[in-house]
Amino acid sequence: MRILIADDHPIVRHGLKQMLAADPSATIVGEATNGDEALALARKLEWDMAIFDFTMPGRSGLDLLGDMKKEFPGRPVLILSMHSEDVHGSRVLRGGAAGYITKDSAPQELATAVRKVANGGKYVSASLAEILASECSSDPQKALHEKLSDREYRVMWLLATGKQISEIAKEMGLSPSTVSTYRTRILRKLSLTSNAALVHYAVRHQLVG
Amino acid sequence: MNDLAHGVTVETEPPLEPVVDKAKILLVDDEPKSLFALQELLSTLGQNLMVAQSGEEALRLALRNDFAVILLDVRMPGIDGFETARLIRARDRSKSTPIIFLTAAADEMTSMFRGYEVGAVDYLMKPVVPEVLKSKVAVFVELFRKTERLRESEDKLRRLAAHLISIREEERAHIAREIHDELGQVLTGLKMEVTWLAKRLKDKPLIEKTDSMCLLIDSTIQTVRKIATGLRPEMLDDMGLVAAVGWQAKEFQKRTGIRCRAKLPAESRFDIDVSTTMFRIFQEILTNVARHSRATRVDIELALGEAEVSLEVVDNGVGIEDQELHAKKSLGLLGMQERALLFGGDVRITGSPGHGTRVSVNIPLRKSK
Repeated sequence: MRILIADDHPIVRHGLKQMLAADPSATIVGEATNGDEALALARKLEWDMAIFDFTMPGRSGLDLLGDMKKEFPGRPVLILSMHSEDVHGSRVLRGGAAGYITKDSAPQELATAVRKVANGGKYVSASLAEILASECSSDPQKALHEKLSDREYRVMWLLATGKQISEIAKEMGLSPSTVSTYRTRILRKLSLTSNAALVHYAVRHQLVG
Repeated sequence: MNDLAHGVTVETEPPLEPVVDKAKILLVDDEPKSLFALQELLSTLGQNLMVAQSGEEALRLALRNDFAVILLDVRMPGIDGFETARLIRARDRSKSTPIIFLTAAADEMTSMFRGYEVGAVDYLMKPVVPEVLKSKVAVFVELFRKTERLRESEDKLRRLAAHLISIREEERAHIAREIHDELGQVLTGLKMEVTWLAKRLKDKPLIEKTDSMCLLIDSTIQTVRKIATGLRPEMLDDMGLVAAVGWQAKEFQKRTGIRCRAKLPAESRFDIDVSTTMFRIFQEILTNVARHSRATRVDIELALGEAEVSLEVVDNGVGIEDQELHAKKSLGLLGMQERALLFGGDVRITGSPGHGTRVSVNIPLRKSK
């Protein structure tokens, strides 16, 4: 498998090469240090897949990805990025990338991604899958927390961040007993039984951060 | 040498000097004799006297000049003094120019009221007492000068603020990029090296060490990201305002537990300075909501028109009091207004206690480069 890599940081290119060296089927045929060079190399060389940094000097990011998809529609481009998935991930996939992987991912993950993409698949990390799923949550099966009223939602959030009933009452300008009532209602609506379960729920649904 | 250099500067910008030095006074009377007399009388003030013999002529001059004061004869053929004053006052440029009416003593008191109605600041009977006229005019000249100076210094301050804002924004972007790109990439490289090392280790305690090193590097990368994004969200530069506002709204909800509903237009890219301005104002609004409003919900609507971008943020909190709005201390609000003003935009804040606050921002779009 012939791979084209592009990243403006020598240290990252070095690491990338080192990691790909572990895979005997992979050969790096070209190395670019910026977007324009990457595009030029892609036109000149024979390659099967490309691994590009998202942010490079010159043409980069979605623009570069667009160019690549237009000129080489059949060939997979794996995007490597410093940015976390929630910022760019879904846009990059929609832009035609075969995969999006952050630079702090484990090297095994990168190896998995390369293998998957090389075989014509798409690589989506677990956290990106979560984001994608929440983006298309227009389905009738709404998340339970969507059923909370605005005020209940805020009380839920304050509870999830470890605030005491009395603190919440002060913060929201309510009486403690009102807050307690809200808490009971929230637990019922979310089918939970304790504050700990509530914290767990909030973390799992990325409601706190 | 100095004198020569000075002389050269003055020569290149001749119109500036007299405008700053001398205030313009407009004298309007249909009788040449009266005009002449007024000119003689006021010439000792050393100001720039301009004359008009009819209402039409006065209007034409008022369109092109800023007068310190206008002396206007009431009785003139054609457009009379009152009508002339009304028309002058109707123009934006001259809507607050002081007008002194001159009238023959025979005119009745009622005409005086008409004069005040159309914007006269004073009324003098002919024949005028020279000292009275002179001192009245001198007061207006002084007022005009002071106003000019005030406007100049206001303008200077505004330009200085604009400069500071743009410098700060550049600096933030620069630092964010340095931190994120340089530091982030080195950390990435470091992690790759440690992983390489880990693969070759057989000793369990050593492997545990490299594992914890990886965790440390990961959390450092997270921190680097957080700092860089705090300084300037990369989204704004990479994806544009619409995406950045959506992202910020989600972040806000996660950070505060205040529900955010955002209505956003299709993503598109336009002038980065306008985008930055809008984004910073948006952040300031959200900061205020989190700090003061006790809201549980925020509705955000961003709209892209042909010629402007507008943002509306409505919360269901305690609402802002008028006096809070105008308190000198509300520098945050002032900052928003100043930022918008730099691009010819405006920020309107309305609200009443108990009914939440609504902030509307409009900024005209410049031709994209």
